[in-house]
Amino acid sequence: MIHVSGLYHSYSQDDRYAVKDVSFDVPKGEVFGFLGPSGAGKSTTQGILTGLLKLQQGDVTVAGYPVKSMKNEMFNRIGVSFEQSNVYSKLTARENLAFYRQLFDVPTRDPLELIRQVGLGGKENLKVGTFSKGMKHRLTFARSMINNPELWFLDEPTTGLDPAIAANIKDIIKAQNEKGTTVFLTTHNMFIADELCHRVAFIVDGEIKLIDSPKNLKLQYGEKVVTVEYLADGRPQTETLSTVQAEDKARLQAILGTYEIMTMHTKEATLEEIFITVTGRGLT
Amino acid sequence: MFKRLWTIFARDIKVGTRDFITLFVLIFPLVFAFGINLITPGINDTTVNVAMVAGEDPDREAYFDRFAHLTLLPDRQAVADRVLQRDSLIGVVRDGSGMLVLAQGNEPDEAVELVKLIAVLYDSGAQTGSEQTELVSLGRTIPPLKQIMVNALLLFVSVLAGMLIALNIIEEKTDKTISAIHVTPVSRLTFILGKSLTGAVFAVLMSVIGLFVTGCGQINLLQMLPVILAMTLLSIMIGFIQGINGDDVMEAAGSVKLMFLPLAGSIIGYELLAEKWHPFLYWSPFYWAYRANEMILSQNGSWAQLLLFVGINALLGAGVFAVLAPRIQKGLQAQ
Repeated sequence: MIHVSGLYHSYSQDDRYAVKDVSFDVPKGEVFGFLGPSGAGKSTTQGILTGLLKLQQGDVTVAGYPVKSMKNEMFNRIGVSFEQSNVYSKLTARENLAFYRQLFDVPTRDPLELIRQVGLGGKENLKVGTFSKGMKHRLTFARSMINNPELWFLDEPTTGLDPAIAANIKDIIKAQNEKGTTVFLTTHNMFIADELCHRVAFIVDGEIKLIDSPKNLKLQYGEKVVTVEYLADGRPQTETLSTVQAEDKARLQAILGTYEIMTMHTKEATLEEIFITVTGRGLT
Repeated sequence: MFKRLWTIFARDIKVGTRDFITLFVLIFPLVFAFGINLITPGINDTTVNVAMVAGEDPDREAYFDRFAHLTLLPDRQAVADRVLQRDSLIGVVRDGSGMLVLAQGNEPDEAVELVKLIAVLYDSGAQTGSEQTELVSLGRTIPPLKQIMVNALLLFVSVLAGMLIALNIIEEKTDKTISAIHVTPVSRLTFILGKSLTGAVFAVLMSVIGLFVTGCGQINLLQMLPVILAMTLLSIMIGFIQGINGDDVMEAAGSVKLMFLPLAGSIIGYELLAEKWHPFLYWSPFYWAYRANEMILSQNGSWAQLLLFVGINALLGAGVFAVLAPRIQKGLQAQ
């Protein structure tokens, strides 16, 4: 669905690249996470893929269309949700979606249905200027689904949303993906990436450092340990033990058989920790 | 493409009706047109003011009252004093068996001649209704002041069309919606044309309405169209660049207001400067548009002359386009 090879982009048109030799492929039906800290080149890459930025160097194909000679009809097949909400504040939520649906040549979804799906039911006739930041963000997200996109670009779709609404948005993304929509998810939120993505790419300073599935990364970088908290002689004790070394395994069995266990956790590496290990950088 | 053009146009109109400044811009030409009617006389109104001594010659008074704005004063000295005031008023007093026309010297020749004509007609016993008369146009069908103001109105409308575009672009910028449009099947060209449509329709519609409201609807509207379009294209480009460079509505309104300077300068220069100084105004598209409008309003010019003026205007517009087009494209790309 997406093919990127040898992508470079410089805003200053010199060798100070915002994106440097980026290459990856996203097959149909995949949720591909593009992860990195602010300024890493995520939005630049998405900007090039969606035609908002001019392709300077590299070979990029999106939904079968070469980006270099991009045709407007390509946008009938893709949807884009922006990090910063961008909807008409003087129009109502319904008018916003009704306006956009008329710009496509393909069958579109009912604005009211989309508004309800993102939890804005009852607000469809309010001017968007009266909406909170989160409500605008949800409307921007809803708009990106108006043309039933085959390829869906999502830039920080849950940023600024409260946990319940963010969970709803994640469910919508999962449901759309199950229907066959390919998702290109740009985020610095490792939890949402971990939950949604089949594969993730770590990008730092414009370069992709690694591409793999979250599961593989955890297996590769996670520590196989367990932390157990127990009561010994009435006082709480904590030990971290390997789940593979014989000595630690025996010790764990002894603790379990002897003491009252308070808590016990396997120590699974988070994507964020793996990101820091791989790139040497944090995500903020 | 036409469906999308219409969609963008309809949205702009809908949003325009919800914005006070846009509404003001939309309505202003109408208010201006009605204002012109209020402060300028029509072609059939008399333009001559006459003062006479009350009761000096009742028959003559009655005769003048039918053709002029008559002011009756108590004596001859009062008439002379009144004539000396700043406005254009001509005194008529008895002089033996005849009469004397008192003028300050700065009155329009036509006014003095008209008073003399009325006096001659009275002396020869001419009465209305007793003659078969025919109105013959002498090349001027609109009073001069009205012509200047209607001409200025037409130029205002084109600048306001640019202002409408600027306000629209600012709105898109404030809401950051241009990038959202760019990820739909709407091409950059369709977007620019759609945004321009509001300004172009406004300019044509308001110009025509303005002409009819001010009683100038009898002119050749077909001749007016290329002038309006040439000026509107220029204003649209200015509107786009102001919209792209501006960050809020007030800033854009302020920037577009600056366009009224060359507009006013061109009108004042054309009307007040001797012809030898006019080359200093040749750079201004408003100058050429004003000349073309004047020709059309007075119904006193040929298509060849008109096309020359419009052609010069189009050339100046092309120059502006060459400078601004890359900036407009880049500006829209960057939003």
